[in-house]
Amino acid sequence: GSAVLFLVHSAPGKMVENSLLPGRAIYDFVLLLSSQSGFILYLVWAFIPESWLNSLGLTYWPQKHWTVALPLHLLITIVIGYVLLFRINMMSTPSLNSICTITDNYAKNQQPKKYQEVAIPALRVISTSEVNQMLFLAAKDLYTKN
Amino acid sequence: MEDERSFSDICGGRLALQRRYYSPSCREFCLRCPRLSLRSLTAVTCTVWLAAYGLFTLCENSMILSAAIFITLLGLLGYLHFVKIDQETLLIIDSLGIQMTSSYASGKESTTFIEMGKVKDIVINEAIYMQKVIYYLCILLKDPVEPHGIAQVVPVFQSAKPRLDCLIEVYRSCQEILAHQKATSTSP
Repeated sequence: GSAVLFLVHSAPGKMVENSLLPGRAIYDFVLLLSSQSGFILYLVWAFIPESWLNSLGLTYWPQKHWTVALPLHLLITIVIGYVLLFRINMMSTPSLNSICTITDNYAKNQQPKKYQEVAIPALRVISTSEVNQMLFLAAKDLYTKN
Repeated sequence: MEDERSFSDICGGRLALQRRYYSPSCREFCLRCPRLSLRSLTAVTCTVWLAAYGLFTLCENSMILSAAIFITLLGLLGYLHFVKIDQETLLIIDSLGIQMTSSYASGKESTTFIEMGKVKDIVINEAIYMQKVIYYLCILLKDPVEPHGIAQVVPVFQSAKPRLDCLIEVYRSCQEILAHQKATSTSP
């Protein structure tokens, strides 16, 4: 509900905004109701003793052990997820002596394009040797100042 | 003819580049890394010994203290012999090849030689290293199957890791020699 109001305030000039459609408001309200009732149900499961729930007739609950275990598992999963993601990124970066840093299949298989006088030259991958010569041999003072 | 200048590496430490021009077709580049500093050595030793003393007060076993001393000594010797590189040298001889030497702090030297027939080019490449993008000099080797292909990439000055200004100096000198070599090899 509050998210919808914020979007409406931030762009008053737009004609038809996604948040102004009635469909969105209904989804938002359903989500609000379900998340609040889910939270109240979780609190009931965690705090009210077994005997009172059994006397009401509701006997088929999971063990109370899980009221503490599930949030803890979730928290640890999130923390490990951060570490794992970082580690996977580090491992999938090519090392300094891999050929991926110089060329790849696209660059090897590209067709030589015809040079046209007036038009802008077509996009293509220039080899590392040429780039190095242009950057470091030709322009003598460009990089030595730092 | 000898020439020495000081540069810095990617972490900010000081490096000394020594260039020797033996002849127009033979040059040597020598990069000296800073020596093992007393400050870092005492810091590591104090940390290990304090941790061992903490364990000793918990366990009341005096073997932990002597084990800590052994570990520190062996660790220092292993680090000096296998990890800490003091000096890296690149020797280019026009018609012969390229030789790379790493000398460790304990005196050990390891040498790699690449013959000139295999060398395609020496370039400065950029790549992602840990959380940075660094420039590094590398030797591209020819592919025996394909005339314009690259078989292997051999990075140079791996442990010194100088910055771009130092790499440009080495690159220009190497390109002079490679151009000289191409000119003499294509002429009949």
